[in-house]
Amino acid sequence: MAIKQSEAIVLRSYPLREADLLVTLLTRTDGKVRGVARAAKKSKKRFGGALEPLTYVRAYWDDREGHELARLDSCEVLESPLADEVDYPRAVALGYVAEVLDQVLPDREPNDAMFRLALAVLANLRAGAIWMPLTYFDLWIVRLMGLLPELSECIECGEGLNGSRAWFHPLADGLMCQQHKRLASNEMQAESRRLAAEMFRAPIEKFGGTAWRKQQGIDLRKFLAQRIERQLEKKLVTASMLDRLD
Amino acid sequence: MTRLIDELKKLPGIGGKSAQRLAFHILRSSDDDAHSLAQAVRDVKDKLRLCSICNNITDVDPCTYCTSPTRNLRLVCVVEEPTNIAAIEKTRHFNGVYHVLHGSISPLHGVGPEHLRISNLTRRIDKNEVDEVIIATNPTVEGEATATYLSQTIKRAGVKVTRIAMGIPVGSDIEYADEVTMLKAMEGRREL
Ligand SMILES: [Zn+2]
Ligand SMILES: [Zn+2]
Repeated sequence: MAIKQSEAIVLRSYPLREADLLVTLLTRTDGKVRGVARAAKKSKKRFGGALEPLTYVRAYWDDREGHELARLDSCEVLESPLADEVDYPRAVALGYVAEVLDQVLPDREPNDAMFRLALAVLANLRAGAIWMPLTYFDLWIVRLMGLLPELSECIECGEGLNGSRAWFHPLADGLMCQQHKRLASNEMQAESRRLAAEMFRAPIEKFGGTAWRKQQGIDLRKFLAQRIERQLEKKLVTASMLDRLD
Repeated sequence: MTRLIDELKKLPGIGGKSAQRLAFHILRSSDDDAHSLAQAVRDVKDKLRLCSICNNITDVDPCTYCTSPTRNLRLVCVVEEPTNIAAIEKTRHFNGVYHVLHGSISPLHGVGPEHLRISNLTRRIDKNEVDEVIIATNPTVEGEATATYLSQTIKRAGVKVTRIAMGIPVGSDIEYADEVTMLKAMEGRREL
């Protein structure tokens, strides 16, 4: 059986039977691949820390005919989240990125844009600096999923929102003007809409280094997470944990 | 028989086939063996509990570590699971006591710091009963997040906090160490 190899990002690993791990990888060449790492729980030799969530690896696996799950042969660490300080907020942020990617991506559909987004976000997700990369991640992933509405006009009447107030609601797929906002809508600041436009024009590094407070872009992230959860038709476990961080 | 198989299937790592095999084994075994298995299961639930000081699983409260006259009660090693204690005891070089968290911070499972058993540790620290806390959580993202969270909480009380070293396994070859392990080994180097 020919062994395949690709750059990959580990999204999740669960214990399977006595000593095996069931691993979900986002591979560059084959999209999301699920496979079994035999004896990975007991013999840490072949995999080491390579199966920790959000590790950037070079993965080797074979696709066994008639089996849904690949057999994971080995993984080399290219970049580990453990190389930098892991505090609680960063762990939650990493978990959020892993959960969203795992949930929104279909099996076995290569998507280079998603892969590059994930790499760029991981490289910028540092202890004490999680809100900027998370905002960037939410924006781009919603756009790449094809779920991002035009942020400059009301979805009900099409009127331009630049220069005026805008609202959003979990069950509305875009922003609304003063007249068409629904009951219990949240307002999205003009500042956050400007930020979104900037983030589509510049690479993530341009926004790096600035120590963002949680408050910055919070309305934008809430709106984007609502788009993702509406598409998935369920709540994200890690989204509510992000909400509870200071 | 179906009832027994259904109950066995609830055990971790036991599927339908294994449950069936175990059930038939129990059926064929002597009355005494079957009875002592059942009794052992009952006793675990009836007699074992968590130590009120360190959360270790014990049949006497406080546990034997926490009441040992030869152990240093002011040196506390924090572990994720009760089974981790045996791994540290194997060294026969640790003379302090323990604190068991019963888990680690795990965002993907919705487990935050509020779900860990920390309160009796902070109580010990607040009562000025501790000189040093050694954090021996796993060298994983979850274990590290837990360690960082704990150290921030504990340091506020002015107690010394240390983290067990991560690095190259004894008897292995550094040529085969992965990048993170090597990096951690370099960070944790010591002067000779
Ligand atoms: Zn309108
Ligand atoms: Zn105890």
